[in-house]
Amino acid sequence: MKKMMACFLAVLMLLSMAACGGSADKGQETSKAVEAASFGASEEGAEESDMAYVKEKGVLVVGVTDFAPMDYLDESGEWIGFDADMARAFAERLGVEVEFVQIEWKNKLMEIEGMTVDCLWNGMTLTPDVTEALSCSNAYCNNAQIVIVPADQADKYQTEESLKELSFAVESGSAGYEAAVSLGLNYTEVQSQADALMEVAAKTSDAAIIDSLMAAAMVGEGTSYEDLTYTIGLVDEEYGVGFRKGSDLAEELNQFFKEAYEDGSMMECAEKYGVQAAIIEQ
Amino acid sequence: MAILEAEHICKSFGKTEVLKDISFSMEQGQALSIIGSSGSGKTTLLRCLNFLETPDAGVIRVNGETLFDGKTAKKKDRNIRKKRLHFGLVFQSFNLFPQYTAIENVMLAKELLARERPDYKEKKRQLREEIRAQAEGLLKQMGLSDRMGSYPHQLSGGQCQRVAIARTLALEPDILCFDEPTSALDPELTGEVLKVMRQLAQRDMTMVIVTHEMAFARDVSDQVIFMDGGVIVEQGTPEEVLNAPKEERTRQFLARFSDR
Amino acid sequence: MEVFWEQLPVVLNALNVGFIQTLKLFFVTLAGALPLGLVIAFGSMASFKPLSWLARIIVWVIRGTPLMIQLLIIYYFPGLVLKNPIWGSGESGRFVAASVAFIINYACYFSEIYRGGIQGVPVGQEEAGLALGMKRSQIFFKVKLLQMVKRIVPPMSNEVITLVKDTSLARIIALQEIIFAGQSFLTGSRGIRGVVWPLFFTAFYYLIWNGIVTVLLGWLEKKLSYFQ
Repeated sequence: MKKMMACFLAVLMLLSMAACGGSADKGQETSKAVEAASFGASEEGAEESDMAYVKEKGVLVVGVTDFAPMDYLDESGEWIGFDADMARAFAERLGVEVEFVQIEWKNKLMEIEGMTVDCLWNGMTLTPDVTEALSCSNAYCNNAQIVIVPADQADKYQTEESLKELSFAVESGSAGYEAAVSLGLNYTEVQSQADALMEVAAKTSDAAIIDSLMAAAMVGEGTSYEDLTYTIGLVDEEYGVGFRKGSDLAEELNQFFKEAYEDGSMMECAEKYGVQAAIIEQ
Repeated sequence: MAILEAEHICKSFGKTEVLKDISFSMEQGQALSIIGSSGSGKTTLLRCLNFLETPDAGVIRVNGETLFDGKTAKKKDRNIRKKRLHFGLVFQSFNLFPQYTAIENVMLAKELLARERPDYKEKKRQLREEIRAQAEGLLKQMGLSDRMGSYPHQLSGGQCQRVAIARTLALEPDILCFDEPTSALDPELTGEVLKVMRQLAQRDMTMVIVTHEMAFARDVSDQVIFMDGGVIVEQGTPEEVLNAPKEERTRQFLARFSDR
Repeated sequence: MEVFWEQLPVVLNALNVGFIQTLKLFFVTLAGALPLGLVIAFGSMASFKPLSWLARIIVWVIRGTPLMIQLLIIYYFPGLVLKNPIWGSGESGRFVAASVAFIINYACYFSEIYRGGIQGVPVGQEEAGLALGMKRSQIFFKVKLLQMVKRIVPPMSNEVITLVKDTSLARIIALQEIIFAGQSFLTGSRGIRGVVWPLFFTAFYYLIWNGIVTVLLGWLEKKLSYFQ
């Protein structure tokens, strides 16, 4: 028995060493491939043209989160949504493949500057912070920051003045956060809009401020938040697509939006996901 | 011819000289007791004989064959393992292997040695049976025939030390060394260990015994060495050293013992 | 309730996919960190001082900083600072980067446990083996190894159970492990929107897996309890 066990342990150690070697190799391969891609690009002038870099590697990497109705997975695990469909069409126009990569939204600037994604196309609010750090497309969709409260108290909180007595949960650094600050509300910062909703549902906060598009998707009948509803809109805002600072892809996308708006394909897509009312004329 | 000759053995740890020019010899079948207070260098001397420590200088010969010569010794001695086999060492703290039973402890080293034989593969079964039979015989001799399957933690200190003696005897060393074999035992358990050692002496096993058991040394030894401060102070028969010491230092040491 | 039964298969499917990532990360980390930890342990015990200092400094830095920061640095640093995103953007690249971070981190914790295990075997065991004419390799494999293993199993069990739960930290670099999968139903994934229970349901996966791990390690500990 002891001998068997000693053997077993020895084998386990050997196996684990082999496995370690294997995974290290895999890492190297991946890194080499990526290195080759980016090396080629920088040689041929990524400094001048981000579009040339994307065309060179033949794939547009789109940073997204699972967020209906803009980018979300359908039942078969395919990316769909208004943004996803538009991104697919844009990549086709560039003549490259499209790859959707789920990211942690709060790391979005690291993802794009670290070149692990090429654009942020996920119902991104054009806040001053975002337009400062990125080259953004024109706004293509209207959105508002709205107040979420328990449905049975909705009547009491229909004016901005009435909000002062509530405690809010807002996503750290979001447009909702900025609204809370500018109105002088009591707030707690949380990691995501989903967390903000959970705060209200769990009654750890009285109310939350989130995107109207997200609110439409997340509260009401058939969700875990049936008892929540939205009251007033606080700030109007607009969605845009973000590229690396100085990228020529932003201008290219504006051109694409214009054409797609004119030929009606943009509205057609919007109707499919029920966001047609919010689309901005290009 | 002397079975063991040690000449001019010196050993230092850093700046501390632990052994200063130690020389002695002994005949086949003799028992040699080394006494002295702790720190006198007697354990280090024993460890040098077993090559657990490498002497800085000196010569060690067994049956006329030079095993160690400070002048020619290299740092890495490939044959040191074979040389060690001339000696057996019984430790103060037994150092039995806890994951093996008593009989496995006795068999292990011998089995590993047998694997180095060119005919091991063909004779595997037979060799193992021989080793097992020998181990059983040794444990029986130690009065442990009913404890062969016990693990060390199931045995008393005295039983453990007897297993350790059997383990050392299994390799049939020329010279059996004991490093204070009863010091870690409760007083009521020392007797059983001393008894088997006495039996071994009667059967003319060549033994070097570092001990504090003066009565035992007197009974069993053919030769006694008293060490102090890294040198041999006095050397002779038990009667000479223990009953009529010539040196003042020996007398003081023995006086402290009779007080106890 | 009807809605729930419709959602259940979709949710379980997504959670299973996420949990497979969790398990992959768990096993790859063990496979890498167990041997690497031994290397670091020997490094920190080396008589060559610069080597042992290097090993100890690595252990100090890795144990002294949060795993979450290490994940962020390992994944984003190459692209942000070196302008060379070596890991790539896809799920597989994120997995490799997460594995590297976890292996390094856990190897450092394991190395300290190994060191304790190795140094905990009494010197007398080695000396007894030598005096019996055994080779050093024989002494290691036949005498010391099992005693070391016995010593390290209880502290290792703690680390392994912590590892199961720590894998959830990898979501900081958007590795889609099970909690990531559970959260996606809040914002509308696979036609299910605003549903919170999948997130909490992930706890059962951890609980069950840790139950299995605890039983296995307990069995190993018991198997080794025949000696002391």
